[in-house]
Amino acid sequence: MPIKLLFQMSVRNILRHRRRNGMMLAAVVVAVAAVVMMNSLIRGMQQDMADAAVENLVGHVKVLAPGYRDDPGIQKNFELASDWRPPDGVAEVAGWAMRVRVPAVIMSERGTRGIQFVGVNPRQEGISFLSSARMAGESLKDASDGRIIIGQALAEQLETGLGRRLVIITQGADGLNREAGFRIAGLYDADGEGMEKFFVFTGVDALQKMVGAAVFTELSIRLHQEPALFALKEILVELFTGLEVLDWRELEPQAAAMFIFADAAVLIWFFVMMGALVFGLVNTLVTSVMERIRELGMLRAVGMRPRSVVAQVVIESSVLMLIGVAVGIALGLAGIFAMGDGLDLSLWSEGVESFGMRTLLRPVPLFDDVLLIALLSLGLGVVASLYPAWRAIKIKPLEALRR
Amino acid sequence: MAEAVAAGDAPADSARPLMPAIAWRNLWRNRRRTWLSAGAVAFAVGLTGFAMSMQAGMYGTQIDSATAFFAGHVQLKRQDYIDRSRFEHTIDDVTTLVRDLESRPGVVAVAPRVEAFALASVDDRSFGAQVLGVDLERERRTVRFFNRVAEGRMAEQPGEVVVGSALARNLSVNVGGEVVVLGAGKEGGVAAMAATVTGIFNTGMADFDRSLMVAPMAAVQEAFGLGDEAHTLVARIADVDDSREVAAALNADLPPGVVARSWQAALPEISQAIEVDALGGVLVYAIIMLVVAFSVVNTFIMTIFERTQEFGMLRAIGMRPGTIMGMLQIEAFFIWLLGIGLALAVAGPVVFWLSVQGFYLGEAMSELAGQQLFLPDRLHAKVNAVVLLTSPLIMLAGVQIAALIPSLRIRRLRAVLALRAE
Repeated sequence: MPIKLLFQMSVRNILRHRRRNGMMLAAVVVAVAAVVMMNSLIRGMQQDMADAAVENLVGHVKVLAPGYRDDPGIQKNFELASDWRPPDGVAEVAGWAMRVRVPAVIMSERGTRGIQFVGVNPRQEGISFLSSARMAGESLKDASDGRIIIGQALAEQLETGLGRRLVIITQGADGLNREAGFRIAGLYDADGEGMEKFFVFTGVDALQKMVGAAVFTELSIRLHQEPALFALKEILVELFTGLEVLDWRELEPQAAAMFIFADAAVLIWFFVMMGALVFGLVNTLVTSVMERIRELGMLRAVGMRPRSVVAQVVIESSVLMLIGVAVGIALGLAGIFAMGDGLDLSLWSEGVESFGMRTLLRPVPLFDDVLLIALLSLGLGVVASLYPAWRAIKIKPLEALRR
Repeated sequence: MAEAVAAGDAPADSARPLMPAIAWRNLWRNRRRTWLSAGAVAFAVGLTGFAMSMQAGMYGTQIDSATAFFAGHVQLKRQDYIDRSRFEHTIDDVTTLVRDLESRPGVVAVAPRVEAFALASVDDRSFGAQVLGVDLERERRTVRFFNRVAEGRMAEQPGEVVVGSALARNLSVNVGGEVVVLGAGKEGGVAAMAATVTGIFNTGMADFDRSLMVAPMAAVQEAFGLGDEAHTLVARIADVDDSREVAAALNADLPPGVVARSWQAALPEISQAIEVDALGGVLVYAIIMLVVAFSVVNTFIMTIFERTQEFGMLRAIGMRPGTIMGMLQIEAFFIWLLGIGLALAVAGPVVFWLSVQGFYLGEAMSELAGQQLFLPDRLHAKVNAVVLLTSPLIMLAGVQIAALIPSLRIRRLRAVLALRAE
C-alpha cells in the first residue's frame, strides 16, 4: 500500500476525533514544553556552576607544585619566566595567569582575619572574577603595584576602608614570618561573600619581594571552550615535568559532581514527563483501534496487509507526537524567551550561592538538547503505538465483520 | 448495553447503594482503559509520593546535620556581634543566662562559646585560625561535633587544644605537639596561649578542618581577657521543627542587645537552599499531575462518546443529567482509588525499603553532599502525613474535575437524538 495513502488515512483518523486527539495533543504540548524549559534551566545552572568554579581563580587547568594542595604555602613553588606564554599550537587559550598565593593573616587596628594573599599580574587577570567584579577605588596598576585590593565584606569585618593601611603577616620562602604594611587601593564586590572574605590581592612582584623569592605557586590557564582541555593538559604535562597539572574537575570536585548530576537530571526529567504521558497515549491509540474493528476487518478482508495496518497505527501516533512536539518546543522556547535575562532568585541568594550559582538563573537552551528531546519523544510515540498496532493486526477479518 | 444499569443479578437494596455498584460495573466494561487510566494516576501519585518522601528525608537530614552537628537548633548572640562580628561584642553573665535558658520550656541544653581569631604558630610556621572556647560537658549535650575526634581525644583541661586536620597539616603538628596562639584581647592587648594538641578532628568540611581549633572556654576567656562572657550560645531544643517558635519565645525575655535566632535565620543558606529545591519540586509535580489529568479527561471523552446511546436511553426513561454526571464522578473516584492502590503496591515497598536501607549517593556525590549540603553519604526516605496525603488528594481533585469537564455535555443531551446516535 502506498505510504502516501496510509499517511492520508492516519491523518483522517486523527481528524475524526478532534476533541479526544486535541486533548492528547495538549498533554504532549505541556509535557514537551515543560521538559524544554526545565532542560534549559538545568543547563543554565550547570553552566553557572562551571563558570563560577573556573572563574574562582581556578581556570580550566592549573599547574601547581606537588604537595601545594595539601600544604599550600610559599615553600611549594616553582620557577617560571615572567614572560612565559603557552606554547604555540595550543588553540582555544583565552588567557593565563601566573600567581603567588599564600595563606596569610591580615590585621587592621580593629580586627584580625585569616586570608589567602594572592599576588597577581593585573593584565593577566582577565581570566578570573577579578576583572569583572565591581570595584570601589582603583584596581592594581601592574605586577609591581604594592597596594592591595580587598573584598567589601572583609573591609566591613576589619572596619577599614579605601586608602587605609593594613598589616599582613605571612611566611617567607626561608620559612620565617614576614610582616609588612599595605595600603588599600580598592574594594571589590564579588558574587559571593565567601570570596570577598577570603582573597586579598596585590601585585605579584610586590608579593615575591615580600616572601623573598622570584617564584610562583600557580599557573592558571583558561580556555574559550572546554573540549580543548584534554589536549592542553597533555601538552602541559610534557612541559612541566615534576609539577602537578590539574583540571577544574580535579580542583573543584564538588562543582564537577554537580555538573555530572545535572547531566543526569536532564534525562531523568524527560523520562518522568514522558512516563506520565505514555498512559494517555496508549489509551487513546487503543481506543482508536478498537472502535475501528469492523473497518480494519473489512480492509483486511479486501486484502490490506498486516504490516500496512501496523504502519497506519504507527503513523497515527507519530503524527500526533510530531505536532505535539513541534508546538511543545515552540511553546517551551517562547517560555524561555519570556524569562528574558533569567529568573531572579535573589530572594534565596544565600542558598543559591551555597550551590556555587548566581542569583540570576539564565535559561540556556541548547540545540543538541532540544533535538534530543524531539527525537526521544518521537521514538516514544512509535514505542507507545506498538501495543495498539499489535491489537490491530490480531483482529480476524471474518470475526470483525460479523460484529 | 444496559445490563449494568439494570443491576443484573444483584438487586439494589439499602445495604448496597445502587449508584456505586453501577459505576463499579461500568468500569469493567473496558478493562484496558480503566487500568491505563488508573496506571496514569498511579504513576503520578507514586512518583511524586516517592520524590516527596526522598525530599522530606533529605531535608530532615540536611537540617539535622547542619544544626545538631555544630550550629545548634537556636543560636543566641548580641545583635551587634551578628552585624559586625567584633570580638568585644560579648554576652555578659553567661553562667547565669545559660542556667536561665536551660530552664525555659522546649529547651533541652545550652552551650556557651567564645569565638576568637588568632594566629596559630608551631615553630616558625603560622596560620590564621578560629579559636573556639567551649564548655565541653554542655556542648556534648547540645551538638554532636564534640563527641568524636579522628585522632587523640578532646581538649578537656586548660592548656589543651584540638585542631582541624588541614590546619594541623599546615602547621605540621601532630597529637602531643605544642601550639602557640597569638591574638588581640578584649581591651586591645596581646592575647597569648600555649597549648598541647590532644586531638585532631576531620569533618570533611573545609571551613572546619582548615581553620578551627577548640579549647576549654575558661582557658580562652583568660587568654583573651574575658570574664564571664561568651559570643554565642547554641541551644538544643526538643523538636527542631519548633525552632522559630522557641526562638520567638526566648526573645520575649533576654538581656538587652541579645537575640535568639532560629536555625533558619542563623543558617539562611541551608533554609533557602531547601526552599528553592522544594519550590522546583512543586513545579515539576504540578506539571506531571497536569499531564496525567489531561489523559483522564481523554478517558472520559472516550467513555462518554461511546456511551451516548446509553445515556440517551437513561434520559429517555427519566434519569436526570445530574444523576448521570454523578455516576461518572463515582467512576472517576474508583479510577483514582485503583490508582492509589497501584501506587501503594509499587511505590510503597520501594519507599519503605529506602526509608530503612537508605540510598547510596555514589562517591562523587557523597563528597559534595558531605561538604556542601551537610548530608551523609546515604539518604533515607521519610514518610509523614504530608508526603502520604498531598499528592493523592491533589490528584483526587484533578481526576474529579477531569471527569466533570467532558460530562458537562450530558446536560445538553437530547434523549431522542442520542438514542439514534451510532
